[in-house]
Amino acid sequence: MSFAVKRLVTGVFRAAWRPSVTGLVSSRGYRGDAPDDTKVDLIEIPLPPWEEKPDETTDIKRRRLLYESRKRGMLENCILLSLFAKQYLSTMTEKQLRQYDRLINEPSNDWDIYYWATEALPTPEVYQGEVMDMLKEFTKNRNHEQRLDAPSLEYLDKDSR
Amino acid sequence: MASVRIASRLLSKSILSKTKAVPVAAVYGSRNFHFSAYGKKKNAKASDDISTQYPVVDHEFDAVVVGAGGAGLRAAFGLSEAGFNTACVTKLFPTRSHTVAAQGGINAALGNMEQDDWRWHFYDTVKGSDWLGDQDAIHYMTEQAPAAVVELENFGMPFSRTDDGKIYQRAFGGQSLKYGKGGQAHRCCCVADRTGHSLLHTLYGRSLRYDTSYFVEYFALDLLMENGECKGVIALCMEDGSIHRFRAQNTVIATGGYGRTFFSCTSAHTSTGDGTAMVTRAGLPCQDLEFVQFHPTGIYGAGCLITEGCRGEGGILINSEGERFMERYAPNAKDLASRDVVSRSMTIEIREGRGVGPEKDHVFLQLHHLPPQQLASRLPGISETAMIFAGVDVTKEPIPVLPTVHYNMGGIPTNYKGQVITHEGGEDKVVPGLYACGESACASVHGANRLGANSLLDLVVFGRACALTIAEQHKPGEKLSPLKPSAGEESVANLDRLRFANGSLRTSEIRLNMQKTMQAHAAVFRTGPVLKEGCDKIDAIYQTLDDVKTFDRGIVWNTDLVETLELQNLMLNAVQTINGAEQRKESRGAHAREDFKDRVDEYDYSKPLQGQEKKPFDQHWRKHTLSFVDPKTGKVTLKYRPVIDNSLDEQDCARVPPAIRSY
Repeated sequence: MSFAVKRLVTGVFRAAWRPSVTGLVSSRGYRGDAPDDTKVDLIEIPLPPWEEKPDETTDIKRRRLLYESRKRGMLENCILLSLFAKQYLSTMTEKQLRQYDRLINEPSNDWDIYYWATEALPTPEVYQGEVMDMLKEFTKNRNHEQRLDAPSLEYLDKDSR
Repeated sequence: MASVRIASRLLSKSILSKTKAVPVAAVYGSRNFHFSAYGKKKNAKASDDISTQYPVVDHEFDAVVVGAGGAGLRAAFGLSEAGFNTACVTKLFPTRSHTVAAQGGINAALGNMEQDDWRWHFYDTVKGSDWLGDQDAIHYMTEQAPAAVVELENFGMPFSRTDDGKIYQRAFGGQSLKYGKGGQAHRCCCVADRTGHSLLHTLYGRSLRYDTSYFVEYFALDLLMENGECKGVIALCMEDGSIHRFRAQNTVIATGGYGRTFFSCTSAHTSTGDGTAMVTRAGLPCQDLEFVQFHPTGIYGAGCLITEGCRGEGGILINSEGERFMERYAPNAKDLASRDVVSRSMTIEIREGRGVGPEKDHVFLQLHHLPPQQLASRLPGISETAMIFAGVDVTKEPIPVLPTVHYNMGGIPTNYKGQVITHEGGEDKVVPGLYACGESACASVHGANRLGANSLLDLVVFGRACALTIAEQHKPGEKLSPLKPSAGEESVANLDRLRFANGSLRTSEIRLNMQKTMQAHAAVFRTGPVLKEGCDKIDAIYQTLDDVKTFDRGIVWNTDLVETLELQNLMLNAVQTINGAEQRKESRGAHAREDFKDRVDEYDYSKPLQGQEKKPFDQHWRKHTLSFVDPKTGKVTLKYRPVIDNSLDEQDCARVPPAIRSY
């Protein structure tokens, strides 16, 4: 299959992962363990590794990350990441977008992301960086704002700005 | 469909041409996947049947599961393991499912801490349900529980252990030994404080060893129903805006709860009752939606739980007059009164105008009279949560709190095998091809109230039951019955209408109107006039859906569109919840009416039964509500279905006759 077709094809579907004999097995128990995790509950079952989407345009990446910031497994991250996305997503550089993508999509446990952001647990090295620093700072809520809900999406409506 | 075909929609046109350029079967042969099963089986093909503007891809599977939380993954895994070619369609990556939030655990009478018997667990669950649960399903769940947990352990789920290597079990509210007479049971198995995540990880990882095909970040729009039979689902692929019809002999719904119908809710923002709404649009009933479990102290609006331990440590609830109002409602227990009493008292304060905040719609939980060291050591995490979400420094200011939706007992009615049912002519009737499990379903094992750590059990037992039932009644590779070429057309037309909707009310405005109305009229404090007014208000808000305004006209990753589709789903859940509550003129479990404070059974169980005449079906409330909605008008129709009082085997597990519920 030609490269162009493969690109299109992986863009069209995100489905049907099956770790076959030939690989797709991550070397760690699961992604996103904190370094001092006791590992008592380490899960040995491998999940397919997270993969970057190198062929995605910046615009599409922002649109995807908007969705993925608002739709989390747990309430706390729904609120935190949706507000964080409102504040920063539109101005993130390409590099920051890639960091953010990895941070919110690679760790399999949403609680881990929450504990790193709130500094209840140390952030593993792979997720440290500008975006994590921004998220930690944002999480401190220094202006004592009420963060009650995901922001209404209309902030993105160009006509109403 | 005229609107769908407007030629000017360049974006969708270009996607169409791309899709046509590449045979869809080839998709699966790409570098990353290492197999070409789909190409061989030719079970995915592009189709122009519905619309030329929205490319439609048809897939054929033996079974399709909608949702990839604990229940969906267990069903998908079980089906794949049994050799069924299975698709799992989900709007979220599996480990992003709300099951991850469950930190508690899973009940099973393993007897690792003391002698235990699943029949005691059965008794506790029937009692917890306030005798609204179906005892055959409760029998099935509690008897299967130990096997289900051991099975998870064998799959690799790393349960916390006792010193001698057994699965450790902790105490949880509502769990007793010896039919309520033997004291507290230790029945809850956990994986530290990450049981939900561990369950998702184990089942997802395990299912990948088999042939489960995941369609991740696909939003299911509707069931494909023909002549009362379910033939699959139609879904939107968010990544490229293409429409997919998953044709299957068996469809399992596992989409979770509808907590987001209320303003204050502990669930993730994705708990939008998509499955219950799909079933409603298919003309099928939902069951007992009025039974909603509340937690007294969620942070106002945000919904983050503030543990009841706060009041145990000396925290007090305060109204707008600075009064410690619990002294009036519960002179002895005060702030330590039971959950129900605290939630109700808070709501009465708000209703009588003594709420705090600009809208006077919540109260304060005060902790700053406690020594800061005590706060830090005894209530870790609370100060952070309060600061992050309420912007409150708990050593100086009170936390705004409100009774908050925690779990939905109602859902899609099923029998204990996971088959979706209707009730006609006094008989339960199975809907061919359709199954449901998890919070979206109502088996009904929780009845009028759910016990802690029974919900994860519900997920795995009934996810597994769906797979077992399908494996019992079908074989892999059965020929699919024909599907009308236009099947799903209405769903696409609806999607198109929303995508270009140009009314005057934002999705978020309508959603907030709905949530605030539900919170004010159908939360903890329920009484006739308030509920009636709420029904009228919700009905009016339902009509405003026709006037919705969206702004994102794109199709790729259109969050605005998805949230508007979710709003439609939420509204269908909301109208059924509030109408069911308005009609149910009694108090049972989580449904407490101020104007009908007693439970109304066929007999008065507080007195000797001898000499009592059994009340006819229409004069008592020990029955399930079945609700239907006309999606065009929002009009709700209610019917009722008897509770199943027999266990699966009276010899092995005697039914628990109704009694007054006290703890």
